[in-house]
Amino acid sequence: MSITGFAHKGRGVGIRDHQLILPSVVCSTHVSRKIANEVGALTFAHQNGCGIIGIDVPGVDNFFIELANHPNVQSVLVVSLGCETIQGPELLPKINQELSRLLVIQESGGATGTYEAGVVQAKQLRDNFKSEPKEVERLVVGLDLARNVENLAEIKSALTASGFAVEIEDKKGVSEHNLAKLMSKKVHIIFSFADENQPPSGFPLIPVINIASTSPLHAALSAEFDLLSDVKISEMIELLTKVCQGEKTKSEVSGIGEIVAPRAVRSV
Amino acid sequence: MRKVLVLNPTDNIAICLADMDAGTVIDQDNLKLTITQKIPRGHKVASKAVKKGEGIIKYGERMGHATKDISVGEHVHTHNVLGDRLSTEVSQ
Amino acid sequence: MSLTGYKRSDGRWGFRNHVLILPLHQILSAAARDIEEQSNGAVAVSHDWSQMVEKDHERLIHSLAGNATNPNLYATILLRLGTPIEDEVITRAKSYGKTKLVEISLSDFKSLDKLTQAGVTEANKLLTEANNEQRVAAPFSAIVLGLECGGSDAYSGITANPALGVASDKLVAQGATSILGETMEILGAEHLLAKRAITKEVGQQIIDVVARYEASINYEGIDIRGAQPSRGNIEGGLSTLEEKSLGAAKKAGNAQFTGVLEYAIAPTKAGLYFMDTPGHDIEQLTGFGAAGVNITVFTTGRGTPTGSAVMPTIKVATNTEMATAIPDIIDLNSGTIADGTQTLEENGEEIYNLILDVANGQLTKAELGGHHEFNLSRLYGSSDKLISYARSIHRT
Repeated sequence: MSITGFAHKGRGVGIRDHQLILPSVVCSTHVSRKIANEVGALTFAHQNGCGIIGIDVPGVDNFFIELANHPNVQSVLVVSLGCETIQGPELLPKINQELSRLLVIQESGGATGTYEAGVVQAKQLRDNFKSEPKEVERLVVGLDLARNVENLAEIKSALTASGFAVEIEDKKGVSEHNLAKLMSKKVHIIFSFADENQPPSGFPLIPVINIASTSPLHAALSAEFDLLSDVKISEMIELLTKVCQGEKTKSEVSGIGEIVAPRAVRSV
Repeated sequence: MRKVLVLNPTDNIAICLADMDAGTVIDQDNLKLTITQKIPRGHKVASKAVKKGEGIIKYGERMGHATKDISVGEHVHTHNVLGDRLSTEVSQ
Repeated sequence: MSLTGYKRSDGRWGFRNHVLILPLHQILSAAARDIEEQSNGAVAVSHDWSQMVEKDHERLIHSLAGNATNPNLYATILLRLGTPIEDEVITRAKSYGKTKLVEISLSDFKSLDKLTQAGVTEANKLLTEANNEQRVAAPFSAIVLGLECGGSDAYSGITANPALGVASDKLVAQGATSILGETMEILGAEHLLAKRAITKEVGQQIIDVVARYEASINYEGIDIRGAQPSRGNIEGGLSTLEEKSLGAAKKAGNAQFTGVLEYAIAPTKAGLYFMDTPGHDIEQLTGFGAAGVNITVFTTGRGTPTGSAVMPTIKVATNTEMATAIPDIIDLNSGTIADGTQTLEENGEEIYNLILDVANGQLTKAELGGHHEFNLSRLYGSSDKLISYARSIHRT
């Protein structure tokens, strides 16, 4: 199985060519969203980056670094405020230096100035550094097992037989923790088996293929699942291959899925 | 225009209202001192000598204690001051 | 200056007549943002709650239900999946206020596109109704003022905070309600505030809420510097937490404290209150929103653009340098006090007048910039450990 992806120097070969506008603190998420909307990049709202203490400081810091260094990322524009706990100028050097820039709202003319500068820089990062096509040597498929999956063994063997590597996260209940961990493991694409009482999931950077269970909620939301509970494994592999080659999953089209940073300690 | 601000007569620090270079002489109201280090705008300068362990007084209230002897005109900040509460604060 | 507002059927007052789009699962945040964009002026919030029952269940349900019924809202459109836990939020919201609640469920509309279109249609219908509603003359007791600071520097305690205290004192004297938050930022000044409590019990509550908070941080055994004071605070000249607190507490002026409120809990009568909130700017705003605050003044030394979907948030700069460097996020400059061109009372009067102007409809920079930050606050179970621990180290 050979998949042609995008060569992202220092990050690896991805199956998407995403530009990420990375807000380093909640206070810069809105400016990041306006920049992302203008240039067609990805961003995410979150409530972290300031007033965090203890293990949450490295926890959130590492999470931002992993997002910025994911193979599906073509370039990163970090947007920080200036007085927060996670300092933009300290985060930037920890990010892969290829195509990573930083703007600090308090030093770039406030929200308006940062938005204008951000749009210019984001366009430069994207337009002046086109990604070269490259074959994905080791394409990693993530399995989000938020519910029990009976034919897990057959799925895993079919994937490996087709030349895919497999990573699994199986915390039951909510998918968001599994998705974040799979991202840390640099999976290219994810099969999500959402809990019976949870909706289909999404993760802006990584295409997620949602497979419904037979639960009443999933039946009601079936239009938002990519595959239904009676899907054959061969059909799963078929869709997986098309998505790897560029076809968008439903959650990519709808843009659902807030990225949830790992937190364990209260804000101060 | 005053260069430093004394918030309360019992304070042993004053607030620099502009970036101050070493050697700047302050002579206003009844405060006379020479600033001995570069002090950024908004930061504190010692207006009285403070012994190690003694309280730093601002707004007439204790805001922490000196972790070293501080002489008049010195920059007062995280390098020579520590809060009294939350003992986990470790002097930088 | 006379005050006008929207009189609500439950007796509360709004200074805005918003239609809020509130997702009841994080997955619906994208649809909420789309509905805001495509509608004629609805305001939306995003958050990261996946309807799991966590240790902070009560705190989360209350924050959602309280914000859904903030008095600044004409109506709230609740985006649902169709799960039972959503009914818990909706039932709670109905008990908090008479705000019109419209449920739009993905289980009914089947696809996110159809849900979004239904949301836009409903929002525009409600916006037309809201725009037809007239403001009427309002008493000063209509005001429920939130006092907040974020990105503080050494000037905060000298200029903007005490000036805000002048405005807060004047409003409280006229029968308004004013709420000071950020428990970490009165730690080291609580003895001064306790002296201003109307009763000994309220004074003790102020001491207790800080002791409980300090215990929760001590219990975690964590060096809080870099977070409190934050990196920007330290750069701005604040050396210790107590120094920051002595300055932050000045936002509450000199009026007497009527009571102490748990996080996001609404006061039942007028007066000056202290609310146990984190120092985290947005968790505090979200707590104020849930408690029925209808206008907030937010002082800042380093400069922050954040605001709220449900409350107009007035940004006051502590120093002239920042106010002139990034004017697009600052509504008023108190740096003139340090510059010697205005007295504390003159600048305080300006803040007072701006509060009334904004209450009467003038838009703030944060509103013009579309800032609708919203964060659910969690204690992650630290509250269970600390209550028993707090009692063991209780200080009188």
